[in-house]
Amino acid sequence: MKTLRNIAMAVAMAFVFTSCEAQIKNPKTETVKVYGNCEMCKKTIEKAANEKGIVKADWNVDTDMLTLTYDQTKTNTDAILKKVAYAGYDSETFRAPDEAYKNLPECCQYDRPAKVSAIAENHDSHKGHDMPAAETTQNSPLFNPVYTAYFSIKDALIKSDGKTASAKASELVKAIAAAPMDKMKTEQHTLWMKIQSSLKTDAGHIAETTDVKHQRDHFASLSENLYALAKTTTNDAPYYYQKCPMYDNGKGAHWLSKENTIKNPYYGSAMLSCGSTVETLK
Amino acid sequence: MKHCYQLLLLFAALSGYAQNSKEYDLYVTDTVVNYTGKKVKAIAINGSIPAPTLHFTEGDTAVIRVHNKMHHETSIHWHGLLLPNEQDGVPYLTTAPIKGMSTHTYKFPIKQSGTYWYHSHTMLQEQIGMYGAFIIHKKQEPELPEYTMLLSDWTDANPHEIERSLHKANDWYAIKKGATQNYAEAIGKGHFLTKFTNEWKRMHAMDVSDVYYERFFVNGKQEDHAPQFKPGEKVRVRIINGSASTYFWLNYAGGKITVVASDGMDVQPVAVDRFIVGVSETYDVIVTIPDKDTAFELVATAEDRTGQASLWLGNGVKQLQQPLPKLKYFEGMKMMNDMMTVGGNMKDMGMNMSLQQMDMNTVMYPEITGKEKDKKTAGMAMEGHQHQETGNTDIVTLNYAMLKSPVKTNLPDGPVRTLHFELTGNMNRYVWTLNNKTISESDKVLIKKGENIRIVVTNNSMMRHPMHLHGHFFRILNGQGDYAPLKNVLDIMPMETDTIEFHASEEYGDWYFHCHILYHMMAGMGRIFTYENSPPNPQIPDPEMALKMVYNDDRRYYFSAEVGLESNGSDGEMRLENTRNFFDVEWRLGFNKNTGYETEAHFGRYLDKNQYLSVYTGFDFRYHNSLEREENLFGQASTQNQRAVACIGLIYQLPWLINADVRLDHEGKARLQFVRKDIPVTDRVRLWGSWNTDFEYSVGSRYILTKYWSLSAHYDSDMGMGGGIVLTY
Repeated sequence: MKTLRNIAMAVAMAFVFTSCEAQIKNPKTETVKVYGNCEMCKKTIEKAANEKGIVKADWNVDTDMLTLTYDQTKTNTDAILKKVAYAGYDSETFRAPDEAYKNLPECCQYDRPAKVSAIAENHDSHKGHDMPAAETTQNSPLFNPVYTAYFSIKDALIKSDGKTASAKASELVKAIAAAPMDKMKTEQHTLWMKIQSSLKTDAGHIAETTDVKHQRDHFASLSENLYALAKTTTNDAPYYYQKCPMYDNGKGAHWLSKENTIKNPYYGSAMLSCGSTVETLK
Repeated sequence: MKHCYQLLLLFAALSGYAQNSKEYDLYVTDTVVNYTGKKVKAIAINGSIPAPTLHFTEGDTAVIRVHNKMHHETSIHWHGLLLPNEQDGVPYLTTAPIKGMSTHTYKFPIKQSGTYWYHSHTMLQEQIGMYGAFIIHKKQEPELPEYTMLLSDWTDANPHEIERSLHKANDWYAIKKGATQNYAEAIGKGHFLTKFTNEWKRMHAMDVSDVYYERFFVNGKQEDHAPQFKPGEKVRVRIINGSASTYFWLNYAGGKITVVASDGMDVQPVAVDRFIVGVSETYDVIVTIPDKDTAFELVATAEDRTGQASLWLGNGVKQLQQPLPKLKYFEGMKMMNDMMTVGGNMKDMGMNMSLQQMDMNTVMYPEITGKEKDKKTAGMAMEGHQHQETGNTDIVTLNYAMLKSPVKTNLPDGPVRTLHFELTGNMNRYVWTLNNKTISESDKVLIKKGENIRIVVTNNSMMRHPMHLHGHFFRILNGQGDYAPLKNVLDIMPMETDTIEFHASEEYGDWYFHCHILYHMMAGMGRIFTYENSPPNPQIPDPEMALKMVYNDDRRYYFSAEVGLESNGSDGEMRLENTRNFFDVEWRLGFNKNTGYETEAHFGRYLDKNQYLSVYTGFDFRYHNSLEREENLFGQASTQNQRAVACIGLIYQLPWLINADVRLDHEGKARLQFVRKDIPVTDRVRLWGSWNTDFEYSVGSRYILTKYWSLSAHYDSDMGMGGGIVLTY
């Protein structure tokens, strides 16, 4: 019995040794700089770099140096540093995607090596290449505050952000109340009198809840009324009247936008590009 | 010679182009490559994969000598080029195939400019290396630093073997991709019902691509570097998707991408965050290098997200682009369930989808719709549920509606003819058709010079298809009115309807219109447009024979087999099948007298569009020594002990992928049998079962070891319990 136990021990020991021995074949050791802050960074960096039997990594919090031992037939320093960068950590070779860096816990958001922009110097040549900016347009100054608030609600609904939509709707309520009726043309004035109360109701409902579904219901009728209003005004830059055919079990719903590109406020990100421009108001 | 000179002069006078002959010699050779540690056969041109980039200037005359140094034939098609029909390079259709150890000279005037490419149009040669860039510069092109980014996909598997397994619906590629969408995974993610409904609607695991690729390349490399560009510089990148069957997403770590041309034709600049390049499409984009001492990653990610390839622009520390996260397959499956009728048709719920504007796949993209949820909370937005999204709605993705030509593209006046093409297919049998007909099953479409052809394309299949027209540009009617963009490839997503129109501007000849996913084209997804009263083509001395060669591509039969060797006997099946027909032989051999033997042989044909229904005729021989049952379910005397009959039958695929097989033999005996194969329980475990009205039944399971081998165990009412191995070929 005792011998049996001894043999078992021996086998177990041999196993432990060989597994240590077999840890990394064709080893190569290299030390490289990886930017980071704290013990938590150490964990993340090493986790990203380590690969059983292939890579063993050790990051030093004080010196920011990462010591890598790896099987040089299976990987290389660049490949390892790429994985570390995807985890959010810059090195001399790779700069992590901004998104990965932003996703790090706050304490880990180390000071990144500074970028030197090349664009600032020849800013002029960069112009004219971006999409035509719609921000600068003057859409009938009379109703400007109304539309500004409306577009903010729309943008919030695109993001399914009920809180912002509610806050912007409160602004819209004020803007509606403040609309200078004395400056309106007769035709506009008539229309305004007709739609004013439902505008107020819809805006009010959006303001008093953060339930996006409820907000969208009112946004649909709000959009119809503002569309009617937009038709009576002349604009320097176009407003696009856009339609989502699916909303409300296929009954469809509209909205106004300053961009021709579809960003559907009725469903959030899943159906973002669903819809089409049905009319361009100029 | 003199005659030729006169012709050239005449041409020069007509077009006003200066004559400048530009010559290239292309040597096509068999080669062996090693991309993954495994030596694999491939084809190189001038010793390289991809083939060398050819540069021309508008107005040149191209003279390209193709020296085939292989012992089998080849061809080269000039993708997107306007040229005389006999120069188009489709073997047997427009141009003589280039036989082994021979030289073929192409000669044609260059009448256009932009980013194009060239590739073999012979069988599957394009998959193993025969593709290269074809760049035509404008006469007075503004000096802009530029770089060509030729994308491709690589697999170590023999492409013919890939093609065969696709027809067999072998799910080995799905296992390799981690995309089997098995029941265990479905339950884990709270999607059991989704999976069940999906199979109820007769769908196997869904995927956005069919083939597993080991590597994706930019210019033949996983990472290509272009350090020569300076900070602040604007670079024109000519992106060509030269892959056999992979769509690529393009993302840039240095900011917005400005698209300035597609398929060689300029479009009004439009800035986007990302865009997808369909198989065989080209896009010219302008990107800026925003920072000093930094190289920025322009990354192409396979649509199924199994891999990516990068181009580094600039010099210095490498700014990575955030990789695209894995697809949420069950979300896509859920979407599919809502879109698919049990009858196998796609319905778009009245959304009039078109022009890539509404990408249904978006539900599968975590970077837009948020990370996968493990519980059932991930209700689909379409149902009106609200849920907190963590996704990003600010990403601007290019779609066809955003493409606008800088010049008017209205077609010249002429009679307008409208054609309707419905893209159809059967995923499981890998049948791909237009209006439920393959190329060989349909007549050529006759067109007249001067006519305007309008094509309404509807995609009623479950995959997207890049439809390519040879020798002409079409306008995509995309709401841009007179400024509709010109393209020669139309990517059309499932359920979309798009309208394209082109002017029949050529004099004569046959022009292909086909899906550019190589394996779809070879399955017969296309049509041939042919000009009325075309003169005989000197390249095609025997047109009848040649057309047969063209048609043979989609008439081929594929062999498959499943042979089990188990402790209680051997079960097996061998099949030979093509688009419509199948031959199969099944057997069950016991190892002793009691268990006996059975063998059945059938010849059958699929009847309906979805290929749920087939009829067959065949023989059935069997012998059993000791069986007690004497009557079947229909009260007829069972002849299971000894039988030698001829029979006719009908197979119908029921919901949940159950095959119901009803047959009648010449003695008047009837049998109804239900079989369900390959229920994916986990990644590698499959269950199956069968039962019939002779009261025979069996249930079994299989554990998949490799593409060809599985461990198996099953219980059979005649032969009892057994275990062993199965060869699936």
